[in-house]
Amino acid sequence: MNGTPRTLNRILIGTLGVILIAIGLLLLMLATIPAVASWWQGWSGGAWARTQELLAQTRFPGRSESWLWIVVAVVLALIIGAMVAWVAQQGKGRANDLVVDTDDGDAEGTVVIGGGVAEQALKAALADRQDLAGVSVATYDVKGRPGLRIRIEPRQGVEPQVLAAEISRLIEALDAVIGKRTPVLVHIASGARAKLTRAERVR
Amino acid sequence: MTTEPYPTAGVQDKDARNSDTLARDKVGDDAEMQRILHRETHSSRAGVAGLAAALVIAVCVYALLESAVRAIGQPPWLIDPQTAAERLIALPQGISLLLLGSIGGVVTMVGLFFFLNAVLPGRRARHILHDARTAVVVDDEVMASALARRARIAANVGQEQVMVVVSRNLVVVNVRPTSGIPVQPEAVQAAVQEELDNMGLSPDLNIRVNVAASGVIGA
Repeated sequence: MNGTPRTLNRILIGTLGVILIAIGLLLLMLATIPAVASWWQGWSGGAWARTQELLAQTRFPGRSESWLWIVVAVVLALIIGAMVAWVAQQGKGRANDLVVDTDDGDAEGTVVIGGGVAEQALKAALADRQDLAGVSVATYDVKGRPGLRIRIEPRQGVEPQVLAAEISRLIEALDAVIGKRTPVLVHIASGARAKLTRAERVR
Repeated sequence: MTTEPYPTAGVQDKDARNSDTLARDKVGDDAEMQRILHRETHSSRAGVAGLAAALVIAVCVYALLESAVRAIGQPPWLIDPQTAAERLIALPQGISLLLLGSIGGVVTMVGLFFFLNAVLPGRRARHILHDARTAVVVDDEVMASALARRARIAANVGQEQVMVVVSRNLVVVNVRPTSGIPVQPEAVQAAVQEELDNMGLSPDLNIRVNVAASGVIGA
């Protein structure tokens, strides 16, 4: 439900995987096949000679170092920045407002209902239940529209369909109060707290 | 349930504008819900992404350090890029073949890990529970414990004598009967089937009931 860039994740992870596999296979073949070793020494030796030529051509006037090293450093810094930006994209998408209504009505201004309204109301409604070990509610941005994510951890043996139907009724009441249907995801999860507490034997 | 939810009275006295808004918002909900459900039942690979980024950053930081040191004409920290390149070209000389081969094997394995993570569908151990209003996903463990409770009642055995394993398309119910009291697999099967039908899950699940040949004494 969050805004993790999944396609980007798959592409970048896959690319890294292919690069590592190629390097690993090359090392394996270098160690085992003599023909590959002689090819590698010829090919990489040639490539390194060309690189050195390039480095010699790009020296600072009057100094022995090439400015290509600075270019390399900048490129590496950019890659690091891109990686940090990529990690920062994971799990983003929390929203603050459940409803932002600008149209209709005679009075000027906008109506904003914070996500906290739904979060607190649902948490309060589910707080006293004995068959739940934990409840958390969060508001997320789903393609520009706010959506609610409800995670509940029932104790062992609780029937998920009964729980889902009861949550569903709560959500319908919430719809009526807010006057807007928000997309809702209910995740009936098993966590450490649900596992460690005993099953309800008598119900 | 014993708790009083917040005012349900609103359901009855909603005005015309309210119901109009509700109806309008419903358009596009199905596609949106499908998308949300797909995202919830499949891994986002956020953890692997973080690992991959950390690996790339570590390599880049080291290379950045050495190239920056080189650019300002200082002595290298660990290895000079020139020496490193010459050693690489000289491979497989200068290192034991066994070590080189095992490094290659490890790197290939790590690469395979990332590659398979990207390519495989990344399904999570969750099922979708059909509900008219909300999108509901249920962890397989929650389903298993609900089914185990039902199977335990049907078989009339203790909690420890039933183990239920839920996978994507199959529910396996293992029952160890109490010694001397036979368990009817059909009854257990029917009870679990009924519970599953009540849940209304997708993808569909088949049920297999295994009753152990040996019983438990004193349960």
